[in-house]
Amino acid sequence: MVYRFLLLLFLGTPSASAELCVVDAINRTLCLSDPAQRAVSLSPGATELLFSAGAGDRVVAVSAWSDYPVEAAELPQVGDSNRLDLEAIVSLAPDLVVAWVDGNSRSQLERLSDLGISVFWLAPRTFDDIAAAVSDLALLTGSPDLGNERAEAFRAEIVKLKAQYADARPVKVFYQIWDQPLMTVNRDELISKAITLCGGVNVFGGLPRLVPRISREAVLEANPEVIITAGSSDDRQWLEAWREFPGLAAVAAGNLFLEPPDLLARPTLRMADGARHLCQTLEQARANL
Amino acid sequence: MTRLTTEALIIDIPGCASGVPLSLAIEPGQVWGVLGPNGVGKTTLLHTLAGLREPRSGQLLLDGTPLGDIRRKTVSQRMGLVFQDRQDGFPATALETALIGRHPWLSPWQMESGENLAIAERALETLDVIHLKDRLVNTLSGGERQRVAIATLMTQSPEIWLLDEPTNHLDLQHQTAVMKLLRQQAACDRAVFMCLHDLNLAARWCDQILLLYPDGQACWGPARDILVTSALESLFGQRLLSAELDGFPVFVPG
Amino acid sequence: MPISSPYKPLLILLLAGFLAALISVSIGSTAIGFEDTLRVITGSGTELQQTLILELRLPRTLSAFATGGLLAVAGALMQVLLRNPLADPYVLGLSGGAAVGALLAMLAGAAGFLVSGSAFVGAMLATLLVFGLAHGSGSWTPSRLLLTGVVVAAGWGAIITLILSMTPASRLPGMLYWLMGDLSHAATPWPGLIILVLVCLMVFPLGRALNVLARGSLQAAALGVSVRPLEWSIYLMASLLTATAVTMAGSVGFVGLVVPHMLRLVLGNDQRLILPACALAGGTLLVLADTLARVVIAPEQLPVGVITALIGVPTFLYLLYRSR
Repeated sequence: MVYRFLLLLFLGTPSASAELCVVDAINRTLCLSDPAQRAVSLSPGATELLFSAGAGDRVVAVSAWSDYPVEAAELPQVGDSNRLDLEAIVSLAPDLVVAWVDGNSRSQLERLSDLGISVFWLAPRTFDDIAAAVSDLALLTGSPDLGNERAEAFRAEIVKLKAQYADARPVKVFYQIWDQPLMTVNRDELISKAITLCGGVNVFGGLPRLVPRISREAVLEANPEVIITAGSSDDRQWLEAWREFPGLAAVAAGNLFLEPPDLLARPTLRMADGARHLCQTLEQARANL
Repeated sequence: MTRLTTEALIIDIPGCASGVPLSLAIEPGQVWGVLGPNGVGKTTLLHTLAGLREPRSGQLLLDGTPLGDIRRKTVSQRMGLVFQDRQDGFPATALETALIGRHPWLSPWQMESGENLAIAERALETLDVIHLKDRLVNTLSGGERQRVAIATLMTQSPEIWLLDEPTNHLDLQHQTAVMKLLRQQAACDRAVFMCLHDLNLAARWCDQILLLYPDGQACWGPARDILVTSALESLFGQRLLSAELDGFPVFVPG
Repeated sequence: MPISSPYKPLLILLLAGFLAALISVSIGSTAIGFEDTLRVITGSGTELQQTLILELRLPRTLSAFATGGLLAVAGALMQVLLRNPLADPYVLGLSGGAAVGALLAMLAGAAGFLVSGSAFVGAMLATLLVFGLAHGSGSWTPSRLLLTGVVVAAGWGAIITLILSMTPASRLPGMLYWLMGDLSHAATPWPGLIILVLVCLMVFPLGRALNVLARGSLQAAALGVSVRPLEWSIYLMASLLTATAVTMAGSVGFVGLVVPHMLRLVLGNDQRLILPACALAGGTLLVLADTLARVVIAPEQLPVGVITALIGVPTFLYLLYRSR
């Protein structure tokens, strides 16, 4: 590194194609000499982030379940995220593969790295990570300005929400992501961060696992003031089931809410919309209390 | 020529008090018969003599050397055993079964040669099972399997033959043939030591007898001296009538 | 044993193995014709074809071959050890023990050799547990052995689930394949292949002693076999083979059961022939099973354990039914 720096110093101007370098989620520096022309996305979240970064037309293949934006659903698929078809990936000759730490197998993707294919790992855990992912992907795919613009807009939206609800009265929230087994999220999950942003308190925020399994008893004991789940109207029955316990503060106040299904599901730019919607829901809940 | 001697040997039957110490000398040319009621330890004694079980006390000498000091492989070149029960977990033909008797004589890298094959086939022929040589052992009758087992011992061709109820499952004709074979082996300066449950077979074919009593007592010696009606009656707890036929004693329940 | 020509069946199996490998490397989600495959193997073909066949398919095919061979030989060895044709590293919980060992090492942050070593210890522990518990007075009776094995295997399964639920989500994707054997994670086939060849060479001089042992430990001792040391070395080898296979591909079931059984039907029970034949036939079977797993619902990929279980379960039930 030092030598190259000195070399550049002596030669004066950097070469025409300056290297595009980013550090990924597993702390590896990835450098491309030219913007990627053929990207493969290995998870639905990565697909969405690539499209947000303005690289939609450079995505040549995606993993199963990549359903947003709709154009992504039309692209060829290379297996689902935990069992990838390496051969299909290699034969597409990609110059960038976007992998997902929570979904893809490290050992499997080492093979791609060994074959000289650039792999960029993502693991957005904060709102800032999402924004950074969009900027990085935009840089790697040749539209840094657009990427930065969208990342900044996202950050601004989050900052705005934060300011708006900074003084809101705290409400105890139980966010249900599945019913059998009963599952929720802890404070490290982005959904929980959105709850905090809106002035809510995740009653299970302190549990050690990212997606803890809990018992109904634990929910009764925590006595949340709001119960939220995300889904279509079919999932309404998950909420209705809580009416069996009229003593729950959330049931008593009628604070059982169904959020739009997709906005909070993936750590992507749509999270801003999801968070805004969630904040409005919590506002309504406060009014009911 | 090999002789097996025991010095104050007490066999180990778990849960039973120690019996009388046995000091036997099994000499080339002798045919021993062990008699005693069920559960008295005949099989255990045989396994102990073969070095497959530790005795409770005393020791075993093969030509004067303690059995434990001789390599297992050398022991099995000089002493072999026909078991009462056999495991046939995997299918094998009669010839393959007899051929494993050559194991002590071959080095790990050696394949069985034509010579070994000839030895095994000769043994099968002697035991009158050569026509079954390509049949799977688990498809044979009890008597046929018994003869294959004896043929395996013959293929092993040790100098001391230990046999656990060798006449089990055999019809009269083959009982006689097997006993004649054992006498022939003894005549070639081999020692034969077998457990029997048939008094008259012992009387007819054995020259040395060991009686094992349920209370741990034992007595042994030349057949003429040991096979007396009073001793046998107390051994089996059964009244016996005896007669002499063609120079051999015969016993029937009275 | 009188083998008329011991090399003929092995030669045929070797040929079958080559053929299976050829089929396996010529089939994949990218269509490469058989002729193009041959061209790549002989050193020409496009760069992409070379990458696909030599860098992606060939290592996986070799891994499949090694895994299948290791498991089949481990199964055959255990069957001799227990005098029971129903013994199999998967059914008796050895694979489970090895998987637990490997997972614990991975959870502690270990990699490479430590994971394999830990898998080996796990396999040994599992064997000791099953054999120790099943060994009542006397011999290993089939029903007692199988019951113990099945219960212990279920226990390992539960521990695997427990470990996986304690694992941070970010490390989970590379670990799930322990539950159902999967070759898409196999890194390199070489350790497995080398161990397979070494064990086959080591076993050859032991072959006749194993034949004798198959007739019972007392009979073997009476024929001059040092039974204890032999049983221990079989036990160690079977654990080593299983652990190596498990670290490559997770718990692939039933190969150790099906392959030796089929071969014994055709070739008899001379271990000097059966063990190398198991290595070849087991490898061939798993190569074909993995090829099937890759294409049967393409582009989605199946774990190979699904295919071997679909073949193995009926075979096992048939054996159990017949052994009454």
